Amino acid sequence: MKENLRTKNAITWCPSCPNNMILESTKRALTNLIKQGRKKENFAIATGIGCHGKIFDYLNVSGFYGLHGRVLPTALGIKLGNPNLTVLGFAGDGDTYSEGIGHFISMGRYNPNITLIVHDNQSFSLTTGQATPTSQQGYKTKSEPLGEFNLPLNPIKLAISSGATFVARCNARDINHTSKIIEQAIKHKGFSFVEILQDCIIFNLKINNKDKLMYKIPTKNRKIKEALSLADEWDYNLRKGKIPLGIFYQEKRKTLEEKWPQLSYLQKKKISWKDLKK
Amino acid sequence: MRLNILIGGKAGQGINFISEVISKTVTNHGYFTFNYRDYSSVIRGAHNFNILSISDEKIESHESHLDGIIAMDENTIKIHKKELKKNGFIINSKKFIDLKKNLNIALSGALIKILGIDKEFLINEIRKKFDNEDVLKSVERGYITQENKFKLKKLKNDLKIMSGSKAIAKGAINSKIDIYFAYPMTPATGVLNELASKQIKNNYLVFQNENEIAVANAALGASFSGARVMIGTSGGGFDLMAEALSLQGITELPLVVYLASRPGPGTGLPTYTSQGDLNLALRSGHGEFPRVVIAPGNPKESIEKTNEAFYLSQKFNSLSIILSDKHLAESEFSLNKNIKNPLSIKMERKIPGKTIVKASSYEHDQFGNTIEDAKTTIENANKRIEKYKSIKKECEKFEMIKIHGKKNSKNLIIGWGSTRGAIIDAIKDLDFKFLQVIYLKPLSNKIKKEIQNAKKVILIENNLTGQLGRLIREKTGIKIENRILKYDGRPFYSDELKKEILKVK
Repeated sequence: MKENLRTKNAITWCPSCPNNMILESTKRALTNLIKQGRKKENFAIATGIGCHGKIFDYLNVSGFYGLHGRVLPTALGIKLGNPNLTVLGFAGDGDTYSEGIGHFISMGRYNPNITLIVHDNQSFSLTTGQATPTSQQGYKTKSEPLGEFNLPLNPIKLAISSGATFVARCNARDINHTSKIIEQAIKHKGFSFVEILQDCIIFNLKINNKDKLMYKIPTKNRKIKEALSLADEWDYNLRKGKIPLGIFYQEKRKTLEEKWPQLSYLQKKKISWKDLKK
Repeated sequence: MRLNILIGGKAGQGINFISEVISKTVTNHGYFTFNYRDYSSVIRGAHNFNILSISDEKIESHESHLDGIIAMDENTIKIHKKELKKNGFIINSKKFIDLKKNLNIALSGALIKILGIDKEFLINEIRKKFDNEDVLKSVERGYITQENKFKLKKLKNDLKIMSGSKAIAKGAINSKIDIYFAYPMTPATGVLNELASKQIKNNYLVFQNENEIAVANAALGASFSGARVMIGTSGGGFDLMAEALSLQGITELPLVVYLASRPGPGTGLPTYTSQGDLNLALRSGHGEFPRVVIAPGNPKESIEKTNEAFYLSQKFNSLSIILSDKHLAESEFSLNKNIKNPLSIKMERKIPGKTIVKASSYEHDQFGNTIEDAKTTIENANKRIEKYKSIKKECEKFEMIKIHGKKNSKNLIIGWGSTRGAIIDAIKDLDFKFLQVIYLKPLSNKIKKEIQNAKKVILIENNLTGQLGRLIREKTGIKIENRILKYDGRPFYSDELKKEILKVK
């Protein structure tokens, strides 16, 4: 039986925007997890502000449409507010790597059992296409008429370096692969980060159609050094190189909930703060 | 009877130790105390002092004229000698210098002798903190150097000591808080530390996020999940939280915010006091949405009003701001041991885990789906205003203002927050009544009548521009001409304030 994760809201993403595919991948991953015994009511999502955020209206699970840049603190709060929930954050590249960068690099240290999915189209598209930290150099926009001067940030390297315990990259168009990676990310105990490369079909067209550079890396245990050198194969500038997809790095480490006795108690008793007698 | 004793020295020498053990000893003897802490933003070395006031009657302030000085260094004498009364005493640490870290114990012993209290009471107090053979010897060393100057006989008052910070924390625990989120910032850190130390025993969580933006957004996330949350900070951190206060307005998730002010703008005077953030508490956050702003004036009010803040935020899914400052947060007051039973707080909203719930920062329909049409926009805005009206009605059940002093006097003083103690003590023997505004938003309708009935009205605030005065003018159309404003980062001394009040024609 297919879980009904659809809502009645009309989809307002641009026709053929890869966000539709990310939505489909998410639905498939959640459906699988529900089949495996997770309750639909136990999922909670947090979204930021940007094109990606509209997924809030299209997924029939509990959610918090937060502020720009604040997906991670919001998601962390949801998890602390009830550690028995399965919490997913959906965010954009501007959202995560610009406005919310301080939250992004703090999450590895905390290692809460939550999943962050970044829709990275290398552009602030809902505000009509300004450069984000992952935009390629030379990208000309209305606010950067001389072209983007700055080197792009490599979020995969940053996530590994700042202690994320599950780091993966996907191609939005590859729904099979993406849905499987999302499913694994949710199952991972700790802070899992999935960066999904997607084309923006309206702005930053030059960075589009890089699928032929992409290849899948085998899932295996890697040391940080090896994972970092894999991440180095592509610098987001699209000059040359190959773009690895898959799980770069995975590590078992105590989660935030396991570290705090108050939270592990709630998990053990399978109750929320509300049900706790004081 | 009232004594003001200054204890001064270098940062890190243990001034607070002396004021603490002396306060506890005299409190156990039934005396009221008030301990003011004046220190700079330096961990070791700078000149710091406390003024400990002791009285057989209720007091909530310190005075500028000193009955005694306990000097842990020569500098203290140099700086404060001119504040000493004619017959005032000085206890110089010079003769105990060989005691090193037990110096403050000897000084406590010397002071307790001057106060005429048996040294055993002091020794008992010190032994609760640490116990070694040197304690006895060191107390004795100080004790024998002095003569009884006063005779503090045991009184029957049943008192304990509490700071504003500890009281706010107690109010939160009484309200069955689930999570306190914060980032350290003086003078709000006292609540963070106090709550952190009691979290396991009382079954709640204290979490320090990476910054105040994360604090406020995470708190709303946790509130969404059904947890009862509070966050705390000072002005600069509060500025960072402002986006999330606005988010509270549209998501309608219960949130309690503790704002402990210090002088600004900018970093200002981090360890001093000011009432400069009333406007900030009233108006921060973009858009138009309801909120409650409550300013307790002493620890008892801090416990009770924090509880009301939680009650209101859960009942109306709204924002409650508790406004305090360094003077209330860090001063130590005598507290009568009986406190009202906390209000019972219920949560009736839906939460994830049981059903599907949506909260949104976008304008949304009743299910949480994003909308942009004009009709729903107006309906939602009207709902927010209607909610404020219901909140205001509920607040009227609580003490939104208090009247102190001579209730029939035609001379009226108006103030709020931490100036309460100095004002009450200043007008003790004067023909004045004092209207203490506790709810700043909503503002009590009774204020206008009180002003209209008075002949002389004086506004007293610990800030530059008289922010309560402006608020009252906005709500009542009445401008209060007489203003006593202090904005040097220091709180009012009650004796100096009395002189200022008498100067107003």
